[in-house]
Amino acid sequence: MIEFFEANKDILLFTLAAGLKVLVFMGGIMGFAALLTLAERKVSALMQDRVGPNRASVFGFAFNGLFHPIADAIKMIMKEDFVPGRAEKLLFTLAPFFALVPVLALFAVIPFGDYVMVFGYQLDLQIADLPLGLFLVLALSGMAIYGVFLAGWASKNNFALLGAMRGAAQMVSYEVVLGLTLVGLLMIYGSANLQDMVRAQGRLLFGAVPAWGVVLQPFAFILFLIAAIAENKRTPFDLVEGESEIIGYFMEYSSMRFAAFMFAEFVEIILVSMLAATLFFGGWQVPYLYETGFIFPGGSALPLDHYLVSALQVGSFSVKTVFFSWFLLVVRWTLPRFRFDQLMGLCWKALLPLALLNILLTGAALVALGKL
Amino acid sequence: MISVKKVNNRPLNFLERIYLWEIGRGLLVTSRHFFVNLFNPKKIVTVSYPEQRLPLPGAAGQRTRHRLKVRADGSPKCVACFMCQTACPAYCIRIEAAEYPDNTVEKYPAVFDIDLSRCVMCGMCVEACPEDAISMDTGEIPGGAGDRGELLMTRGDLLRNLPGEPSVKGAANRLANEYLEGKE
Repeated sequence: MIEFFEANKDILLFTLAAGLKVLVFMGGIMGFAALLTLAERKVSALMQDRVGPNRASVFGFAFNGLFHPIADAIKMIMKEDFVPGRAEKLLFTLAPFFALVPVLALFAVIPFGDYVMVFGYQLDLQIADLPLGLFLVLALSGMAIYGVFLAGWASKNNFALLGAMRGAAQMVSYEVVLGLTLVGLLMIYGSANLQDMVRAQGRLLFGAVPAWGVVLQPFAFILFLIAAIAENKRTPFDLVEGESEIIGYFMEYSSMRFAAFMFAEFVEIILVSMLAATLFFGGWQVPYLYETGFIFPGGSALPLDHYLVSALQVGSFSVKTVFFSWFLLVVRWTLPRFRFDQLMGLCWKALLPLALLNILLTGAALVALGKL
Repeated sequence: MISVKKVNNRPLNFLERIYLWEIGRGLLVTSRHFFVNLFNPKKIVTVSYPEQRLPLPGAAGQRTRHRLKVRADGSPKCVACFMCQTACPAYCIRIEAAEYPDNTVEKYPAVFDIDLSRCVMCGMCVEACPEDAISMDTGEIPGGAGDRGELLMTRGDLLRNLPGEPSVKGAANRLANEYLEGKE
């Protein structure tokens, strides 16, 4: 037994560390997604000069609505789990999984910190350090279409099917733009590993400006944000579901199956925020913070403990994620919805040529600077 | 004369057509509201209704839950004349009259029911009352109930004077006043 542990020490430690990271990171994301369901209602309320939900209470303590996610979950579980008589039972059951699982799997490649030394063991703060992480992101986010389309088709409902068609058309179109905006980043960083891309953003331009993606590729950032919100199926691109007027692909879903689709949407908000932070805003990088502490451009330095540096980096990543989540909520509650022809026109006539132009300009700049 | 507001449908300029600049301006407006309200939650105009109430505006206080006024001797001011029951458009008032053993002038309501589940809060009963015995000035707004029975107000629920209000003296009828003075 002891020999077995000794012989397989590395792989066992790796498994243990990966399991721990999955538990902690996924737990954090699930908790944050649950809070986002509350935050969406609170942020929209505050933007519209309202108070928002504040009634759900435990033993008379409401904490300004903090218990509403729990109340919502209990309500969802208690609802009747209805399956239409003519629905494809198997696919109808599978569709919520197709919506939720790929989105959750994507978090594996997102680095939420550099590394921590724990008892001499180097713990990388990223669940899966894949060389082609960015392509996995694109591949798995393409999987989300299956959830939408299977749900619409398996419901055997014409309106759900129409919603699913709209959704599939929108997601396939914006997938292209999303992929093309990231090509510029691939050319600059020369790597598809997200951890490498974040490390590359730790350099300084002209000795003072952090070389974040948004500084190098501001154009790509705006295109990425638009395409990512469209991929996320949220306002101003929410004509997939259009909860108030037009009917979406999950109209036959109820109870926790419906909640799975809603939850997938909120997890996607976190995912888009984390991707925006990782690719364009330096991920876990804090400006001027290095492994040994702060080194400011003027030459002054502030040495910091290793654990403090790691905590600052993870905190920086969290703050960026929260900021972008907030930003997506504000966008969702500010802008009106696009018409379908406007949506498609924006994608194919505006965003796609601009993304291609961005690649051309990036390439030209790289050649001119002699970096290629 | 209909007031006409002229809309200036000028063509959009370049900044407005690419939409991003205007999105940014819109986001500024909404996020300004967000932060102002986040740091100044007291300024939000929302009233948390059951706990926090505003005074009813204007004459709305005269269209609240009914009451029957009480005389100084504890008897109802109502003389069971059926005026209100006749005037009621919702047929929600039910009166059964009875006679005092020693009073030949007045009757009194042995039963006075108002079914709030049918009442339309029109105030016709108050207008119709010749004795000014019924009024709708309690300031309480009838809400929902879990049971129809809870919405049926009987004589006991209705007979009350407002806090601080002196008990009603006298009646409209001269003979009734003489009788009342005789009782004192």
